[in-house]
Amino acid sequence: MIIKDLNQYSLNSEENKEAIANLSKNPFPSRKEEIWKYTPFKKFKKINFHNQENFKIKGLDTFNLPNLDGIVIVFENGRYNSKLSRIVETDEINISLSSDVFPRNNFNTIKKNNYFSSLNSSFLTNSVLVNVSSNTKINKNLNFINIVSSNNCLSNTKFSIVINDNSNINVRQYFLGNTSISNGFINHENNIYLNSSSSLSIDKFQDLNNNFNFCNEFITQKNDSKFIMNTFSCSGIIVRNDIISDVNGENCHTELNGVFSPTKDEHIDNHTTINHLVPNCKSFENYKGVLKENGVGVFNGKVIVHQDAQKIEAFQNNNNILIDQDSIIYSKPELEIYADDVKCSHGSTTGQFDDEALFYLRSRGLSIKKSLQLMTLGFINEVIKKTSNLEYVDFVLKRLLKE
Amino acid sequence: MSDILIEIKDLKCRIDNQNILQGLNLKINKGEVHAIMGPNGSGKSTLSSVLAGNDNYEITKGSITFLGEDITEMSPEERSWKGMFLAFQYPVEIPGVSNINFLRTALNERNKYFGIDSIPAKDFLKMVSEKSMLVGLDNKLKNRSVNEGFSGGEKKRNEIFQMAMLNPKLAILDETDSGLDIDALKIVANGVNKLKSSKNATVVITHYQRLLDYIVPDFVHVLHEGKIIKTGDKSLALELEKKGYDWLKTDAAI
Repeated sequence: MIIKDLNQYSLNSEENKEAIANLSKNPFPSRKEEIWKYTPFKKFKKINFHNQENFKIKGLDTFNLPNLDGIVIVFENGRYNSKLSRIVETDEINISLSSDVFPRNNFNTIKKNNYFSSLNSSFLTNSVLVNVSSNTKINKNLNFINIVSSNNCLSNTKFSIVINDNSNINVRQYFLGNTSISNGFINHENNIYLNSSSSLSIDKFQDLNNNFNFCNEFITQKNDSKFIMNTFSCSGIIVRNDIISDVNGENCHTELNGVFSPTKDEHIDNHTTINHLVPNCKSFENYKGVLKENGVGVFNGKVIVHQDAQKIEAFQNNNNILIDQDSIIYSKPELEIYADDVKCSHGSTTGQFDDEALFYLRSRGLSIKKSLQLMTLGFINEVIKKTSNLEYVDFVLKRLLKE
Repeated sequence: MSDILIEIKDLKCRIDNQNILQGLNLKINKGEVHAIMGPNGSGKSTLSSVLAGNDNYEITKGSITFLGEDITEMSPEERSWKGMFLAFQYPVEIPGVSNINFLRTALNERNKYFGIDSIPAKDFLKMVSEKSMLVGLDNKLKNRSVNEGFSGGEKKRNEIFQMAMLNPKLAILDETDSGLDIDALKIVANGVNKLKSSKNATVVITHYQRLLDYIVPDFVHVLHEGKIIKTGDKSLALELEKKGYDWLKTDAAI
């Protein structure tokens, strides 16, 4: 991949300089490395990525997003679009936007040595830091909408959130690319920090069409906190999520769920790592893949139970349906356990829909398309029902089922 | 308008190079109840699958004319829209899909085919509660996933409930009596009888005469080696119950 117009990016801060130094140390990943083995980098080839200054989107209506009552933060082509955003600051929630400063405070417990993360830090255009005060319950969803609206545009964006003690909030993240746009690339990073007894749920929706989206996500959890992330990946040339979660306090609940539905040569890649560093925590992971028409999916989940992290309960599950003969899934659930008193399991299944079931539905008057949709719905229902809002579920389903 | 609902002429079909139906003829008029009996492996379930449009079977000869139209090449869904219904011998479990959602989709797909608006939620729910009473289907089952974790009897009741919702012109009941206890059998038969009219017809496929005590047939056919070898009235079923099939097989051989 080629990145043009480097001088257009803000390269002033010390952090940028350091990141650029890191970037030069980190070579572009090779498919010889295990975690990059299936990612089709050749799709990046010959694309001249550039930096786009202009906003093109007039309004959010075309995206039909569900219920945008709460705070709305819109990034377009990597830049904060104030016209489309709605930020109300209160004592409870503080939002700071910056172009070249990004929070370094207590986030760096996790080692970030991945190329795309360094690329992000080097050429970061805008970032947002959300700080939720202690003892606060935010009722309305916080919406973070990240859109690419220009061909070949590279956006490096960052969303950081700190939830302080005894607080909770729900976040919806949207990564969107218009059908008329191609080869845009949102290279995003989520930095998430949960303090004691806090709770955060993120519903992440990725619908990039002919564009790319990588998300590097770093989560740190302190004691008694609850973190849930539901990732719905509908489309994109390559969509890749790398979630690394450090559970660094006792009695935490960590839950990662996802549905991905690549079609037409799309590639959707989910990598997760949950580091259980301390005892008495629970983690749950459930990903469902629905693949057709040369769609390729990857699930690589890893749970690491560190030494002395006793009484951990960790469950990991990945189920996939190949709707036709031409799609591919690479599924690799992994467990690394260095403690001796734990309850962990992992599993993976891949199969096809039952012909008899298809005939049954058709004999009741459902077309093949409707029958497959209904069976798909049944298959992903377990994950979908984690999100309780009906309007949101409808929105997600329409895109996942490609209605 | 003719009274003929369906006419099957010289129907031959096979699966995996094995011939199953070997020249079957059958004509069913509106308002009639036909029973099809026969020994294991005679082709009864194949007949029902072929009529419903299961494309695992290859039709090598003959025709099926349903409401004046040849349907041998027609998809299962289109047959359903036109009024064909098959109650499965082994209803399929569809995890994660609620019975209600499934039926609403089915009705709406048919409405779409005929260019009619979707059925309003209120009317639909009213219909559901009416029709489920017919077969005494437990309220909870309607909201559960299709057939998932249903007992054998509940699955069969659910088939008749679906039949009631779709109100077909031709209902084929493939061994609906199997797996039912006597009380459930009465309820299911009663439901089928209530759905009977002068405009529709029912085909009952069964091994046992008992069901025919409750759903009384106008005609009883004996299927053997893919052909109907004898047709009679309801007394034929009683005779079969006493004498078995062997005497007919010998007759057919001659």
